Amino acid sequence: MKFKFKIENKEYEIEILEEGQGQVKIKVGGKEFSFGEREKEEIAVAKTVLPKRDFSKKEIKTPIAGIVSEIFVKEGDFVKKEQKTLLVSAMKMENEIVSDFEGRVQKILVQKKQEVKEGDILIFLQ
Amino acid sequence: MKIKKYKVVTSTNALAKKIKTPKPWLVLLAEKQSLGYGRKGSAWFSPKGGLYFSIILPKSKIEDLQTLTILAAFIVAKVIKENFNLEPFIKLPNDVWVNGKKIAGILTENVVGKEVKLSVMGIGLNTNIEKFPRNLENTATSLKIELGREVNNEKILKQIVGELKNQLKTISE
Repeated sequence: MKFKFKIENKEYEIEILEEGQGQVKIKVGGKEFSFGEREKEEIAVAKTVLPKRDFSKKEIKTPIAGIVSEIFVKEGDFVKKEQKTLLVSAMKMENEIVSDFEGRVQKILVQKKQEVKEGDILIFLQ
Repeated sequence: MKIKKYKVVTSTNALAKKIKTPKPWLVLLAEKQSLGYGRKGSAWFSPKGGLYFSIILPKSKIEDLQTLTILAAFIVAKVIKENFNLEPFIKLPNDVWVNGKKIAGILTENVVGKEVKLSVMGIGLNTNIEKFPRNLENTATSLKIELGREVNNEKILKQIVGELKNQLKTISE
């Protein structure tokens, strides 16, 4: 089987010949290359392990109704597990809301002095 | 009752929140606080002579802690009334007044994630404070000012903590 093709205006003539016993000969511009039909080249691909990521929702909620009296983080900040993120003042208690996850602060849904209800989402982490 | 005593701390509540393995009912007692605070970060005048302590509360439901905090004001008032025959007035939710002036304040702080990780109740009671600075003398008083004599801080502390223990047991049952 013969065919021609052009690379950057230069024409190459390629001929593929079967030599038997699974060997294939390819002639390119007069030069000959032999290949074993069943040979395959082992290409070493570096194994990369992707870090395990937790795709469950990372939401920081308030367990108690009150007023957001302090916000200790800003959007884009990296938050560690157990880090203090907000202070929710209830009538009788002050509640430091700490993060149960680590991640980057994607969105802060509340503002200082805002009233929140029990279970309200305060922060989304990435 | 386990009491850890300190000469001076910034605030017994702040100190309690830093304890790595907080044991329930551990009491942190300070002779004075350099940065005593109440709700919303308001300062609590804490010179030597007053009673300043924080109690590590056992892990409890947040509603129970809320109830306990209100009860704490009643307990402090009860201890004052029964020991010294004064007529305390409870200024809900967290203060106790005597003769129109503040004598005690309570601040419960919780560290909360999905659940309550730590609860600390701080109580400041003006016991043996002789005099208040000018900006506070019209709004604050002490047992010493009201009674004209000194009182036993440790005895009062033990009564308050004992009552709190009983009350929390009742609430959480």
